[in-house]
Amino acid sequence: MSNLELATGRGRKQTGKYGSLWREIYRNKVIYLFISPFYILFAIFGLFPILFSFYLAFQKWDGIGEMQFVGLDQFRYLITDTVFWKAIWNTLEIWIYSTIPMLFFALVIAFLLNSAFLRYRNLYRIAYFLPNVTSIVAVAIIFGTLFGNTYGFLNFILTSFGLEPIEWLNSRFWLKIAIASMIVWRWTGYNAIIYLAGLQSIPTVLYEAARIDGASTVQTFFRITIPLLRPVILFTVITSTIGGMQIFTEPQILVGNGGGPNAEGMTIVLYLYQQAFTKNLFGYGSAVAWGLFVVIAVFSFINWKIVQRPES
Amino acid sequence: MTRKIFFSWALIFCLLVTVVGCGGQQAADTGGSGGGGDAGSGGEKITLTLWYWNRSIDDNLLKEVNKQFPNINLKAEKIGGDFKAKLTTSLAAGSGAPDIVGLNDWVAEFFPNKDQFVNLFEYGADKELKSQYLEWKWNQAVTPDGNYMIALPMDTGPTALFYREDLFREAGLPTEPEEVSAQIKTWEDYFEAGQKLQSALADKKVFMFDNINTVFTQATHQNDKIYFDNSDNFIGDQEHIKQAWDRAVKVHQLGLSAKIGGWTPEWNAAMNNGKVASFIGAVWMKQILMEAAPDTKGKWRIARAPGGDGNNGGSFIGITKQSKHPKEAYEVIKWLMSPEHQLNSLVTMNLFPSTPSVFSDSKVVQAEEFFGNQKMNEIFMKSAENVKPAYRGPKFSIANSAFQDELTNIEKQNKDPEKAWNDALNKIKKELTR
Repeated sequence: MSNLELATGRGRKQTGKYGSLWREIYRNKVIYLFISPFYILFAIFGLFPILFSFYLAFQKWDGIGEMQFVGLDQFRYLITDTVFWKAIWNTLEIWIYSTIPMLFFALVIAFLLNSAFLRYRNLYRIAYFLPNVTSIVAVAIIFGTLFGNTYGFLNFILTSFGLEPIEWLNSRFWLKIAIASMIVWRWTGYNAIIYLAGLQSIPTVLYEAARIDGASTVQTFFRITIPLLRPVILFTVITSTIGGMQIFTEPQILVGNGGGPNAEGMTIVLYLYQQAFTKNLFGYGSAVAWGLFVVIAVFSFINWKIVQRPES
Repeated sequence: MTRKIFFSWALIFCLLVTVVGCGGQQAADTGGSGGGGDAGSGGEKITLTLWYWNRSIDDNLLKEVNKQFPNINLKAEKIGGDFKAKLTTSLAAGSGAPDIVGLNDWVAEFFPNKDQFVNLFEYGADKELKSQYLEWKWNQAVTPDGNYMIALPMDTGPTALFYREDLFREAGLPTEPEEVSAQIKTWEDYFEAGQKLQSALADKKVFMFDNINTVFTQATHQNDKIYFDNSDNFIGDQEHIKQAWDRAVKVHQLGLSAKIGGWTPEWNAAMNNGKVASFIGAVWMKQILMEAAPDTKGKWRIARAPGGDGNNGGSFIGITKQSKHPKEAYEVIKWLMSPEHQLNSLVTMNLFPSTPSVFSDSKVVQAEEFFGNQKMNEIFMKSAENVKPAYRGPKFSIANSAFQDELTNIEKQNKDPEKAWNDALNKIKKELTR
């Protein structure tokens, strides 16, 4: 600990020139050694693939044979590729249908779990977290039987109430709802646990004071909990944006690599996978990945602006 | 302080070893599982690795290899998940690929990179083995110029018409396999029978076909050419594909399809509930049907498929160039895929042989309870002998997925068939430029 304080203290004094930076690193090599495992693993499994995919995006490659440099051709194709644009819109739609209810329910659940009168608290925490560690393939198969067009459980319920069955897996809109519902089911508990950690860092005196002043539960929720949770909410919004842009397994298992009827369930990552691994177009798959990178960067920025605004 | 540095370096070292270990594993444990003595000394025992997927090779047969070849230690690894992607990765990496590898019906996708595989002709496969195997099956693993064979045939997938005998009887259609084959000979006969069956069983809401993608797949596989000619030129816009397409569209227009996609829980339920009266499928659909529709036991039969015999799927086994012992590996695959062992795999695993010499064996033709004690393989044998050799080529899946996607749009979203056809062709032509 004292080492660390010393190191940062010294570092502050002498920053500026690159030479002195390297000297600092050398002088504090033990500390850098301690943090190096992450950087070594990241360089091998994170940085290298990122750089290589950037290189690949300018090549034409079937995965094994000779690479052929094609310049910006892959990106030129990407911009005019209707399926790619469709995949972007599909992904955004699914993201909206899933993130908003997911974060809302997570907040409510965390608030209830945090309330003082709750018994068997740990049991609930585990129960809400359980979907997140369930095998995604098993989940998708179960949801597949729920949403089946002819023999699905949901349509069985609808028809037994005398309603028209919904063609969940054929319709433009309902297919996205089906995929979004799987995401909501899986990630609500996870976000609830994060919110719960945030809630527990809010001093109880604030709640006690509010109660003495006669505030209702709803009022304390909106006036105390939400404002103090803002940084945690920002964190979950950004992580679920990044996660939401990368939806893959749910549509793949529900409707296959093709994305279902009229590619309505085609997401960006599913498209990337299909191009690279089923059609052996690794160069184009990499170009799609960089397209995805731009989309995520733009949306993370917008998110950050929206969630940050009230504070500044 | 120095101790701290020492431990940190030790930690990093351990970490690096673990990381490197992932890649070097194969080299490290050569001769490992064979047990003590053989490692180290002269290296007399050779280790061969083999990759296969579940149900593609009989596990007991693989265990026999070590007994048959005392100098070989076969490490058979069942690879789960995306088999082709894992193989591609290990070939591209230049290390980590197995000596022997199973290849599915996408074998032709490796033709452009044939030099990743040992040319089996160099070991005399054409002179020694060719006569034992079905010719069309053999040719699927040989490059179009006829000079390079990347794999030996494993099982095949001859097709037949699967039909519900009880529903055919109720609808007044022929019920005995010979009669069915005789009276439902062409696709037109099949459509007519479908209309008759559906009007006779209108109150039961039975459909003659499961989906129109099946119709298209089967119709295309009855021809001697599919989407590409031997020089890999696209010929999918020609009459033979249009005809298959029109048949699929006709089934849609006549309302004969249950519109239930394959490989879904829905399909299983529809089969089990008797909503589908027939489909054309390969021999391996037998197993799938038995598992999907246990309640229909005894009600199914098969007959020669209307429109002609065909083949779906079936796999191959090859040797990678990364193998240090291709000669021994060749002996192993030759032994594994010998007619005798293929016959055995038919009995134990329902894998249909690619070696016609065993067709006369009494073990092949057995009454099968689920299919009303019909001797099914009599029909599959005839089908296997009549399959027309068709070249698939490395770009098969680009063309196929475009046609199949558009057929799904017709069936599930009522897309105009004319527009769907043009969209499919435009998409393929665009994708082939990449």
